[in-house]
Amino acid sequence: MPMKIVVAIKQVPESGSPFRIDGSGRWIEEIDLNYTLNESDAYALEQALQLKEQHGGEVVALSAGPDRVQSVLRDALAKGADRAMHIRCGDGPDRDALGTARLLAAAIRPESPDLVLTGLQSDDVGHGQTGVLLAELLGMPHASLILQVEKSETGLNVKRELEEGWLQMIELPMPAVLTIQSGGNKLRYATLMGIKRAKTKEMRSIDAPELGVDTAAVAVLDHVSTIRKQKSGQILTGTPAQAAAALVEKLQFEARVL
Amino acid sequence: MMPSFGTPAEPAYFSLAEKLIFVALATASICAFWLRFRTVLAIILKARPDADFKLLPLTTRLKDFFWEVLCQAKVVRQRPLPGLAHAFVFWAFLVFALVTLNHCAVGLGIGFLESSGWLGRFYFYLAALFAAACAVGIAALFVRRFLVRPQWLGKKLSYESGVIAMLIFVLMATYLGAFWVTPASAGARILWWLHTLALFSFLPLIPHTKHLHLVLSPVSVFLSRGSFSHIPPLAGDEDFGLVAGTDLTRLAALQAYSCVECGRCTEHCPAANTGKVLNPKEIVLGLRSYLNESGPASTDLLLGRFIPPEAPFQCTTCGACEFQCPVGVEHLPLMIGLRRGAVNTGAWEDEAGGKLFNTLERMGNPLGSSAAERDKLIQKLKLPLFDGSQEYCLWLGCMGAYDPKGREIIADLTRILDHLGTSYGVLRKERCSGDSARRLGNDLLFQQLAETNLETIGQAGAKKMLSICPHCVRTIQEDWKEFGTPPAIEHHTEFLARHAGRLPRQQSKDKIVYHDPCYLGRYRDVYDEPRELVSLAGTLTEAPRSRERSFCCGAGGGLTFLGEETGERVSHHRAEELARTGAKTVAAACPFCNTMLRDALAAGSAPAPELLDIAQLVARGLPDKN
Repeated sequence: MPMKIVVAIKQVPESGSPFRIDGSGRWIEEIDLNYTLNESDAYALEQALQLKEQHGGEVVALSAGPDRVQSVLRDALAKGADRAMHIRCGDGPDRDALGTARLLAAAIRPESPDLVLTGLQSDDVGHGQTGVLLAELLGMPHASLILQVEKSETGLNVKRELEEGWLQMIELPMPAVLTIQSGGNKLRYATLMGIKRAKTKEMRSIDAPELGVDTAAVAVLDHVSTIRKQKSGQILTGTPAQAAAALVEKLQFEARVL
Repeated sequence: MMPSFGTPAEPAYFSLAEKLIFVALATASICAFWLRFRTVLAIILKARPDADFKLLPLTTRLKDFFWEVLCQAKVVRQRPLPGLAHAFVFWAFLVFALVTLNHCAVGLGIGFLESSGWLGRFYFYLAALFAAACAVGIAALFVRRFLVRPQWLGKKLSYESGVIAMLIFVLMATYLGAFWVTPASAGARILWWLHTLALFSFLPLIPHTKHLHLVLSPVSVFLSRGSFSHIPPLAGDEDFGLVAGTDLTRLAALQAYSCVECGRCTEHCPAANTGKVLNPKEIVLGLRSYLNESGPASTDLLLGRFIPPEAPFQCTTCGACEFQCPVGVEHLPLMIGLRRGAVNTGAWEDEAGGKLFNTLERMGNPLGSSAAERDKLIQKLKLPLFDGSQEYCLWLGCMGAYDPKGREIIADLTRILDHLGTSYGVLRKERCSGDSARRLGNDLLFQQLAETNLETIGQAGAKKMLSICPHCVRTIQEDWKEFGTPPAIEHHTEFLARHAGRLPRQQSKDKIVYHDPCYLGRYRDVYDEPRELVSLAGTLTEAPRSRERSFCCGAGGGLTFLGEETGERVSHHRAEELARTGAKTVAAACPFCNTMLRDALAAGSAPAPELLDIAQLVARGLPDKN
């Protein structure tokens, strides 16, 4: 049975970019930033493409943000997505996960997909909530931290990553929303042929107000700051036995690593 | 009558029957040749025209033709004994053109070389000299092929080559023999007919054997793409490199049919020498088989039945094959073309390769390091940023910016620059030059990297650049041209050699062996400058394979990022060869060679020689900072 899969992806600043806090103190300077596809979203896209290759169907790439996000959508088309939807909205401190999830849900609903995939969390603000909220808004079952997705007779078998190398296998019905963990599959690379073929694929732009949803942030961002490095050294004195005992105590009660 | 020395004896007359037989044989021979040759010619002409081919300027073409074809310079220099034997055969063929024409004319009663005249006499003598040399040469080549049997000629004995050698020998022997028989005698008649039969048997054997090189290789050499490892730009929206027969160009087809199967490419190939699947000769012959069986209009994949799909991806792009080839086959456009075909269409699935491409796309360098690491290095070494006021823009490259050893080279180079009082600055940001992406055939990624860098460099206003990496130098100078105007860039050894007079000469007499990097030597013709600098630091010694014949370290063509090699390691072969020279120090001039050799030298059994970049060797002689 062919599947219709929507993959929600986000464009984020490259991790090596020079980050400077802007004048408002609530966001970073966007000049000088290079943007790229959010890492776990790349794995969500890969998973969608592999399911399509195995079972047939359609992959729709979806992203909300300013015009620059069209470049990650174009890359998704180049890697094999069939069409793309761009929700034109701002990026910045006044956007929160719920507002974004509402926009995405409104765009996804008329598509009535069998499966919605998105990355586990974004590499920039890292809320890790958009996918979960999306499932609630769409009224679909949801599983997070997914490494692999297989289609079964009745729905889906998915592999979840737990702590310390534990894995959990879950069955769930379709349609469903899954948030994908990085590293579950091998990512394909973008090719020249893909980019050329992508030129003829559909990229639909929707202005956010057209979707008629309330995007006012409920989680208000107060300010952003850089991590202050606090490195301090201590020299433990005494005999080796005393020093070792002091070290163990510190590791246990101060560093809490033992 | 006594045999008259000075001219070969000819039959006095030919009966009508003889003339008719002669004409019939000549016609049959020429027709048989043409029927076979026509097929080959049709395949070549049916192939796609080479989009960027330009006939002009003719001077380089004529020069190459003169040296490589007429003088046989490469054939002789790279394999002196067999080369000379071949050269004698070839030169005899040139001289015999007139003799053969005259021979046929005699058969029709219209011979024009008069043995009575001094000119004819002189020419017959000259031809006799060449005939003798040719007979010796072809006999030697016969012995080499069938008795000595060098492995590079292939496992299968070519019996056709034996027949051809015999025919050539008969041609020469019958010509020379005619000097010893009485003109108009029965002996003269027998020799004339034997010569004729050999000639007419020879002709039809040319088109379907490797002896087709007689006809095609001069054309191949003359029409070559014009520069070493020239990678043609993709033509149009449907060109992704060499995917199928329809992508093969006329030059590629011409070269495939020109191959003489001598195996020089394979003899010098680092992959073929270390147990890989890749054998450059078999790639060219595979292409020929494809053309013979499927033809240039076929849409069957090139990688598969005739060329093993993994073979092109084992190529280090060292270019030893292309440099060695005596018949003008350009292996690198072929090898990279096949990679382009597989990568640009996504057909190449390789875990390490896919990871490399994704890392390059995301991080802008193949090592997966964060750009912040580069900033830290700039701060640590207090490198000035390029602001347009300095003379040189120092290109750090990924190895210089992120690799520990590469960073040491940069540190030492900047010490030398300070010593010389040369002003320089580094770019605020750099991305990989795209060398690995280019050589692995990822045109999309290469274009992105080249364009981003060209923009950064354009904005910075850098006009003259310096780099410690021959791969960056080559890629920036040549390959970026497809997407803009790259700045002038040179390798640090070229720059330093220009200032050698102001660099300290060290007292040490220690032996230093210099390893020629492929991308500095064969790709850029820089051989003497690094040696001049090595001589400042000690006594230069040469490896058995050096300069144009240098053996690759195994890193090139993106292979350094593709993980474990099959077979033996190329770097170990080279490291062993370098260590065996007994030198105390190995001098490198490429950060990739440096990485490969560092590990390989350490893996050797003997105490490893010290390994230093030339900049480090030179910097050793600088006075201490304080």
